[in-house]
Amino acid sequence: MKLLDAETEKTYRVVSIEGGCQSKDRLIKLGILPGVLIILKRKAPLRGPFMVNLNGSDIVIGRGIASKIEVEEIL
Amino acid sequence: MTTIALVGQPNCGKSTLFNQIAGYKSLAANFPGATVTYTKGTTYIDNELVEVIDLPGTYSLSWYDDAEKETVKALFSMDIDVIVNIIDASMLIRSIELTLELMSLERPMVVALNMMDEAKKKGIYIDVEKLEEILGIKVVPIIAKKGKGIKELLQNIKDAKKPRKRCVYSQKVEERIKELSECVDKSIKGEHWPSKLLAIKAIEGFKPCEELVGRTDCSPILKIAKGELEDGMVIINQRHALCMNIFEQSSKVKKPKKRSAESYIDDLLMHPIVGYVFMFLIFIGIFYAVFTGGAPIENLVMGLFDDIDGYLATIIHNRLAFSIVKGTVDGVGAAMGIALPYLLPFLFIISLLEDVGYLPRIAYLMDSTMHRMGVHGTSVIPFVAGYGCSVPAIMAIRILKSKKEKYISAFLASLVPCSARTTVIMGLVGYFLGYMYVIGLYAFNLLIIMISGMILKKMLPGISPEMIIDIPPYRLPTIKTLLLKTWHKVKDFVYLAIPMLIIGSIVLTLISYYQLNGYINNIFKPVLSGFLGLPAALGVVLIFGILKKELTLIMLYQALGLSSISMVSSAMSPTQMLTFTVFVIFYIPCVATIAAINKELGAKGGLFVTLGTTVLALILAFLTKLFAPLFI
Repeated sequence: MKLLDAETEKTYRVVSIEGGCQSKDRLIKLGILPGVLIILKRKAPLRGPFMVNLNGSDIVIGRGIASKIEVEEIL
Repeated sequence: MTTIALVGQPNCGKSTLFNQIAGYKSLAANFPGATVTYTKGTTYIDNELVEVIDLPGTYSLSWYDDAEKETVKALFSMDIDVIVNIIDASMLIRSIELTLELMSLERPMVVALNMMDEAKKKGIYIDVEKLEEILGIKVVPIIAKKGKGIKELLQNIKDAKKPRKRCVYSQKVEERIKELSECVDKSIKGEHWPSKLLAIKAIEGFKPCEELVGRTDCSPILKIAKGELEDGMVIINQRHALCMNIFEQSSKVKKPKKRSAESYIDDLLMHPIVGYVFMFLIFIGIFYAVFTGGAPIENLVMGLFDDIDGYLATIIHNRLAFSIVKGTVDGVGAAMGIALPYLLPFLFIISLLEDVGYLPRIAYLMDSTMHRMGVHGTSVIPFVAGYGCSVPAIMAIRILKSKKEKYISAFLASLVPCSARTTVIMGLVGYFLGYMYVIGLYAFNLLIIMISGMILKKMLPGISPEMIIDIPPYRLPTIKTLLLKTWHKVKDFVYLAIPMLIIGSIVLTLISYYQLNGYINNIFKPVLSGFLGLPAALGVVLIFGILKKELTLIMLYQALGLSSISMVSSAMSPTQMLTFTVFVIFYIPCVATIAAINKELGAKGGLFVTLGTTVLALILAFLTKLFAPLFI
């Protein structure tokens, strides 16, 4: 599934990030790369950005980028 | 002179360290040809003068926005003797990614391990010697906020050496990188990129590097490398593993199970409903504090300068000389009347919000609304500030990152009616036509700002990249850092605005001295009377309004030859009042605002806003003339 369709307060493993955009490089630099676990913390209203938590630090990403991150839920 | 550059990721405490080292005498400077600002200052190490450069924060040497791009360019092209890499100890893994990249520049380097106290709070204990050994660079633990470890850091800067080690990937990866970097070495000349770094970035698919290499004979080698290394993912994974490894070897983690107080604060401040309520209250609070607190001080300052004018009138008897001296004094007075009561407190509060860490949270809340206008959530600050005074609003665009965002925000912020224009809206439309029309005008203004934003988003070149920011933990900044930050910004404004305001004031006093009002009115008559259907006598009012919008209402009734403002209705029809007010709301920003735009965006930006707003004001005032009779 895409991170865009994820639910808050659940933990996900990043499977892959669609390439071709400059944002991929930035996500990787912030530590969001295939294999890591992230928790979706909040979604801003009115189709606003997402906030995810990675190793205790919070990162905000736009929805367009969230639609390019493939994740799987950790049960 | 030795030059040292402070490099680090955003929110790592870089500015705090800078202020500790090179405090008071620092200057803000712009990168050549760019609107991005950096700060430089000097300090002494063992009686030797050293230049310190504070570069904007960057996560990596592959940039994502203009500010980072300028930082990278500066690192490559400036003559930097020592790189001081500031690391947030509580974010070690992420920070080492940048450290590894900086190491590949092969310059003398020192790591300043900042926020050791915060790391401890998170349960992270770092073995500094071990870290130093693994990295092969001197690591100095500091707490910048408290000034701890600064002396030792300076000593080590003096003795800084080039990194002893290189970032080592697996043999397969190193072979590919070597192959490509050797080719790059031969075929690309005059680029500042170190060839190994360029090769790695190209394989990883960082666009500027990939294109640079792709244009040369090395293109086939790049293709093979990309194929073998899964578009660079192999390199990325190995480097990440390396960073994790360094972290695990040098640190012990005792995870505190307790949820931090911060996440509770965030639950309120970033809540989908309550978060907006808090934001609104904070804005109202700032607004109230700055503008009700500022007004008496402004009156005090203006009163003082009026007294000086009065005194000068008694000692200078030549009327021309008096006009020029008075113009000069009024210009200085006008600059002080904005800078002291409004700019100082406003910029202090903005710096406070920035350093506490609230701005990224506003960006999160407002992003979806603002993104439609081609700007990020943070741009809401210039807008809100604009209702008080356009000058601090324009100065606030400094917190924005991309050039496109700065242009759009500067244009839109100057359309927001400031308190001076509000006096025209209230005094003319409110007084004669009623408050429903005032509300209507504000709504109309907001609508135009939204539409202008959408048009500018399409029109201006450059992409508006989607937001990827990290939300820093809440931090209490030191008063010293805040005051220095505020002081730099106010100083910049005063230096820039005073000459413009003095010239403006002298021109205006000369106009009245030589009684040129009639000529000016004649020049603008075709546009004013012909196009907009306004009394020709208003030409000179609008010219004076460019100097200070506060003058508009006072001069209006004088120019119309009336004895008081309450008689305006005898000289202007309701349609004319509306047309005039609409024009005043949207036309050319005042001189001080133009000075601020020039400072932030360069003269081109100032011209862009000046021309753009004039055209917009003419169109809107014309439409008002046509359609206002339907509503009145």
